[in-house]
Order: sequence, then structure tokens, then C-alpha cells
Amino acid sequence: MLSVISYPVFALSVLLALTLSIAPVPSGWLEFRPEWLALMVFYWTVRAPAQFGVFLAAALGLLLDVLESTPLGVNAMAMAVVAFLVLTVHQRLRMYPLPQQCAIVFLLLGINQMLVHVIKQSLGADNTGFGYLWPALTSAVVWPFLSLVLDNINRRLG
Amino acid sequence: MLLVVVLALGLIVADARFDKLAVVRSTLATGLTPVYWLGNAPTQFSDWVGSLFVNKDDLKRDNDELQARLLILERRALKYAALASENNELRRLMNSSEVLDDRVIVSEVVSVSPDPFAHELVINKGRSDGVHEGQAILDAGGLMGQVIQVSQITARVLLVSDSSHAVPVEVVRNGLRAILLGTGKANSLELVHVPDTANIREGDLLVSSGLGGRFPRGYPVAEVSRISKEPGKPFITIEATPTAKLNQSRMLLVVFQALVPDNKRSENQLEPEKGGTSAGNRLQEER
Repeated sequence: MLSVISYPVFALSVLLALTLSIAPVPSGWLEFRPEWLALMVFYWTVRAPAQFGVFLAAALGLLLDVLESTPLGVNAMAMAVVAFLVLTVHQRLRMYPLPQQCAIVFLLLGINQMLVHVIKQSLGADNTGFGYLWPALTSAVVWPFLSLVLDNINRRLG
Repeated sequence: MLLVVVLALGLIVADARFDKLAVVRSTLATGLTPVYWLGNAPTQFSDWVGSLFVNKDDLKRDNDELQARLLILERRALKYAALASENNELRRLMNSSEVLDDRVIVSEVVSVSPDPFAHELVINKGRSDGVHEGQAILDAGGLMGQVIQVSQITARVLLVSDSSHAVPVEVVRNGLRAILLGTGKANSLELVHVPDTANIREGDLLVSSGLGGRFPRGYPVAEVSRISKEPGKPFITIEATPTAKLNQSRMLLVVFQALVPDNKRSENQLEPEKGGTSAGNRLQEER
């Protein structure tokens, strides 16, 4: 299994994820936008658990907070939780077949989204039902392609 | 892990409850400008490609239409100058320093909020252009919203349709005052606390009343679209449609109010003449 990583690829993928998470999309698709940054945190923590940890995840979450203008720290905490959970299961996770990996992605990103929305609602946002779980589902669908592409690039350059 | 969670919780409380982190946020936002720029790049690129392949007839037709429109608007502007001078004269006679014209700068939308439940935009003018929090934002149709956050070269705008937004308005026809709330839907606002005997009809235009000192007075905000009276309730339910194209406009105007209300008041008390003369000067500059 892959364990080399290339730092330029890491920086670029994070920049791309940040861009994608604010890029304009047709209005009906907005609530299905995958959680790109959380996916990146997930990928890099699985691939490089030694280099990529809770603190870096929190820092990236902070950037997302600024982009989404949520109270600073909401996404930071949610990302840190994702990174922490991935760190605890990453050795098993590497052995899982793809469908099972997707299920884990859905689970962890769902936890991420729930945390974000629980905090937002406790600070006074509207309660919008379970619609906020869609991004977790679309992220799980995107995961196989994303991991394939990033693995290939890492193998070439890392 | 525990450390990070505690830190993050501290951040959340500091930011949401005490507003201590505005500087941090604005610095980070300035650093993230390339991301905003990249996010907007595809749209700009497609616009640019679109503008490469325009045929001559289209350009000619556009040009003719614009010329015609310019003529009409110029005629109106002529009339307006006369009216404005007359108005300023009358105001001066009444010893009031209120000036009709506000200075505006044009800005472009570079990003919309990634959160589907928040109605926010990011525009490409920031602190370096003199934009500050609380300024009103207009499009060609009317009031769009207000600036809630400023970084060095971008600013974040809360739209009137956001469910946390409210504008003090008045009915143009009779000056009836009320508060217009956002509902979280782009094409519908709600006018609240209007008693069921109030004189209001469908089709009434609501303009900003300027009360509260945040929005300038007299810009159209919405048109009453539906009124329903429910017997037994003290207030009627009134829906209104915003006159600005909240989810379509890309060129927006940032309004700089002529005078800050507090200054205005003190100026009025100290030297009542001064406001009038400065209004006169402004007018001469315009001519």
C-alpha cells in the first residue's frame, strides 16, 4: 500500500478543495455539494497518518470557517474530529474493500456535518431537517474516484 | 485531540459571543483571496470566451439600444438635476442638512455563500476601497443587503432575504412604517407587526425608511405581493417580493452615505448653516 506522499500535491489538492467548496454551482445542486475539504482531510490522514494529524486538520477547518463565514472554530473542530477518528481506524481502513471505505467516508463526514450543524443551530441557525446529510452521501460517492486519482498522482511524484 | 477540541470550543465562544476575532477573520480572509479568485475564474473565463465570439450585427444592435437608452436616461438626468437643485434649495430653506445624493462605487460579485441555508455574497471591494461594515448594497432594482464583514480587498454581504436580516421600511403611498424580515427564500420577504386595520394593499412599494441609521432613506426594497387577514389574529400576514434581483445581479453598488447620522446631528446643533452650504457645493460639483 502507498505510503509515500508528495507535499506539492498535498498543497495543491487542499487549494483545489478550498476553491471547489466555494465555486458557484447551479442553485438546485448547492445542497448536494460534496464536502471537498473533509474528503481531503480524510484522504491525507489515511495515506500519511504520521505527517498529517489533528492539528493540521483543525487549521484547514479554520480556513473553511472563514470561507463559509461560520463562527471561527466550528469546522475546525469538526475536521479535527474526522482526523482523530481516521487516525484511530486507519490501519483497518486500509484493508477494507472500496464499498466499505465509502461507508466509512459517509459515516465520518456525516458526523462532521452533524457536529457543524448542531453547533450552528445552538448558536441560532434555522433547523433544516436532515438535508445537511446529503453532502456526506455525495462525498462517499466521490471518494473512490478521488482516492484513485490522488493515489496515481502520489505514485508518480512521491 | 482534547486540546484541539477545547481550543476550537474556545474559538467558537470567543467569536460567536464576544466578537473578539474580527481581526483574525479578516486577515485570514485576505490571505484566502486567491481562493475566491480561483472560485470565480471559471465564470469569468466563460464570459471572456463568450465575448470573443460576438458577431458584428449583435454588437451593432446592442450599441443602438444602449445609445437610445442613454438618450432617455440623459433626458431624465437633466430633469433630475433641476429637481435636485430645487429640492436642496427647499431643504436649505427648511434648515435641514440632509442631502439627496449618496456616493456609490460599483463592485462585482465574486462568490456566493457555499452554505445553502445562508444568503450571502462576496464582492470584490474591500477595506482598501473604503468599504466598511454596515454599508448598504444596491443593484439596479433596489436594496440588496448590507456589508457584514470586510477584508482587505473583498467584503461579505448579507442579503435582505436571509432569515436573520431585517430592514426598516415604509410604504411609499402613505408612509406607513414597518419592519421587513428575510424568510430564507430568495423571492419572498415578510412584513411583520402590521395591524389588520392598516392601510396597505397588494402592489404597494416599500422603500427603506432610514430609521435606525443603518440604511440610507428612500431606496426601493420590495413590493407587497400577498396579504392575508386571519380573523382573531392581531396582525396581518404580508408577503413582499424584493425589487432587487437577489440571485441574479452580478454588478452591485456599494453606498457611501453622505454624512454619518451622529455627525449630522451635532453639525446641525452647532452650525445650522453649514449643512446647507455643503449641499450647495456638492450640487455645483455635480454640474
